[in-house]
Amino acid sequence: MQKIIKDGVIQDCDLNWIQDQEQAVEALAGDQKAKAIIPLNLWLDDAHDTSGVAGIWIDSTESTEPLAGKDLSELAVIGLNFLAFADGRCFSYARLLRERLNYQGEVRALGNFIPDQQGYMLRVGFNGFQFNESVDIEKALLLHKPFSVAYQGDVVDPRPVFARR
Amino acid sequence: MHKYSFFVYSNFDKVAANIICLLSGCSNMYQYDAIDQQIVEERVNQFRDQTQRFLNNELPEAEFLPLRLQNGLYVQRHAPMLRIAIPYGMLSSKQIRKLADISRRYDRGYGHFSTRQNLQLNWPTLESVPDILAELAEVQMHAVQTSGNCIRNTTTDQYAGVIDDEIVDPRPYCEMIRQWSTFHPEFAFLPRKFKIAVNATESADRAATQVHDIGLHIKKNDAGEIGFKVIVGGGLGRTPMIGTTICEFMPRKDILSYLEAILRVYNQQGNRLNKYKARIKILTKALGIDEIRARVEAEWEHLKGRENTVPEVEFERLQSFFTEPAYKALSNNPSSLTEKLSQSPGFARWYERNTFAHKKDGYRIVTLTLKKTGIAPGDATSEQMDLAADFADKYSFGELRVSHEQNLVLADVEQEQLVELWEAAKDAGFATPTLGLLTDMICCPGGDFCALANAKSIPIAQQIQERFDDLDYLYDIGDLDLNISGCMNACGHHHVGNLGILGVDKKGEEFYQVSIGGASGHDASIGKIIGPSFSEEEIGGIIEKIVSVYIDNRTEEERFIDTYRRIGIAPYKEAAYAKNN
Repeated sequence: MQKIIKDGVIQDCDLNWIQDQEQAVEALAGDQKAKAIIPLNLWLDDAHDTSGVAGIWIDSTESTEPLAGKDLSELAVIGLNFLAFADGRCFSYARLLRERLNYQGEVRALGNFIPDQQGYMLRVGFNGFQFNESVDIEKALLLHKPFSVAYQGDVVDPRPVFARR
Repeated sequence: MHKYSFFVYSNFDKVAANIICLLSGCSNMYQYDAIDQQIVEERVNQFRDQTQRFLNNELPEAEFLPLRLQNGLYVQRHAPMLRIAIPYGMLSSKQIRKLADISRRYDRGYGHFSTRQNLQLNWPTLESVPDILAELAEVQMHAVQTSGNCIRNTTTDQYAGVIDDEIVDPRPYCEMIRQWSTFHPEFAFLPRKFKIAVNATESADRAATQVHDIGLHIKKNDAGEIGFKVIVGGGLGRTPMIGTTICEFMPRKDILSYLEAILRVYNQQGNRLNKYKARIKILTKALGIDEIRARVEAEWEHLKGRENTVPEVEFERLQSFFTEPAYKALSNNPSSLTEKLSQSPGFARWYERNTFAHKKDGYRIVTLTLKKTGIAPGDATSEQMDLAADFADKYSFGELRVSHEQNLVLADVEQEQLVELWEAAKDAGFATPTLGLLTDMICCPGGDFCALANAKSIPIAQQIQERFDDLDYLYDIGDLDLNISGCMNACGHHHVGNLGILGVDKKGEEFYQVSIGGASGHDASIGKIIGPSFSEEEIGGIIEKIVSVYIDNRTEEERFIDTYRRIGIAPYKEAAYAKNN
């Protein structure tokens, strides 16, 4: 079974990130619905009954704006998919999920991010890391938190350095 | 006397800062506390590990690339190039001695001061970079975010804090922005690089703020409160643009949240498909200033008044580092100075061009020029760096600045000591009396060093310096910014030179395109290309012809740029492309 890092611990990944729209529609009717992480668009589409899914995922090319005003408390996971690791849009999305939309569940990194980005990712609100399968997750865990102090306030500690000095 | 000034403070931080200051041998600069120091040291460890994993083939090249770039490390034509950050251009004598030492031991005994007030080493080995960073951390320096698609070193006026008509000293604000932008977790992977420059005087803009992604002009409103005019979307590169005002006045307490709003809009909406369309200037142009302002303000609505609101006590803390050194009570124009000025034309020339009025009577700002003919503009040897440190200690409270024109500045020199300093600077090749003249060129390292360049730039600079070696003629020409870039990335700021030269590749051969009419100050403008490019052999002659058009057409008060603005491009074009008789 694939592993993830969640809250700083390596765990089994027991949820199913479904990237394909049609497969996601099928999953809504199947017995694995409660484990499905489905595309944002599908979740927003009233034609489908998406209640009871584990979560949704948002692509780099999308945004968190459609989530404004929605009840996110039913979602155990919101995944953010890195198209490329240098595509930093998901850093803003994670922060907006936490600070603007007050989302309390797991914010999971998906796709092409790299282990060396975890430090920044933790600070903007990610707490789940589902690496590409080529990544050695034990080694990735060693890179989880490269800094013990920071200048800016962040999701972990909203106080900027001038409020901590 | 300055050394004892800390006794007057009651605030413990200030006392501590001044004690650290005593130990480090500097005067009025920001001093790291335990937090700042821990951050740079943890960065050294992180980068050492990343380099080791790369060398062990555990970290793929494609992943190491942006990681090393965020630490200023390029892999260049001959060797890696390491760009060391000099925040807003300020250096203590201790720091520049360290730079001299590093250049000597890890490089070939010289470094290159860049237009963004940083220092580039051209020949370090990849393996040695972590050790270099560790040594830099010992003197409160680093190479963080000197490259890569992140927020770069914040730059400002090299005369900050020592000129008369400054609204306030911009350096505490630069330091505030430095801290806010350093390892900002949300903005480390932007669509493209992001540069911020700060100006605090109405009479001049020596930081070229209008050609930065964000230009900040410090202002006071009618109530006397300090804030910023915010200019967005300027930049050079392939599509040069002058920035547009997005906000007329943002109170200083709100500036960080406002910057955060701009960056958040840009991070989400900037173009990520085409790197040539990825700077915020393109987004600003595509949306229009009103639309981008509306989007930024909508974002800012959520951010203002929250954690990033900077309290008064923080401004006081930051300002406490940039207190005045212990100036003596002196008078202007001591007899030793006026006598030498009347006796020595060489000294008088240097005084006129390379020194600048100081806010305190009896003091003068001195520029040590790095523009000696035959040497790449901005280059300094380890010996010169050591000597500059000695000068700083002896004449200028142990402090030194780097200017965006790639020179070094001693900000606080007693007028009584100018003659002595001039003699010493001349011997060191620091006193070419041509500041602001045609031969005081801005120039990138070009094809001799840089892998991106289409053409060499240093030999062009040299050719022009040799052609214009008659000082009387140079003085007669007067103020003229000539900027040279080896490719359209425009590191040599050719678009905003009164004369700009751009290296281009034509079927594998190096050619040079000439533009005219650029400017980087408050009257910033982008130069116009005069026509087809020239060969390396032709370029010096062409510059000469263009300058002659100015000489023939100018009125008494006109600088080169003024005449151009009056008569337009046609006469210059005609002269440049006229067939030789």
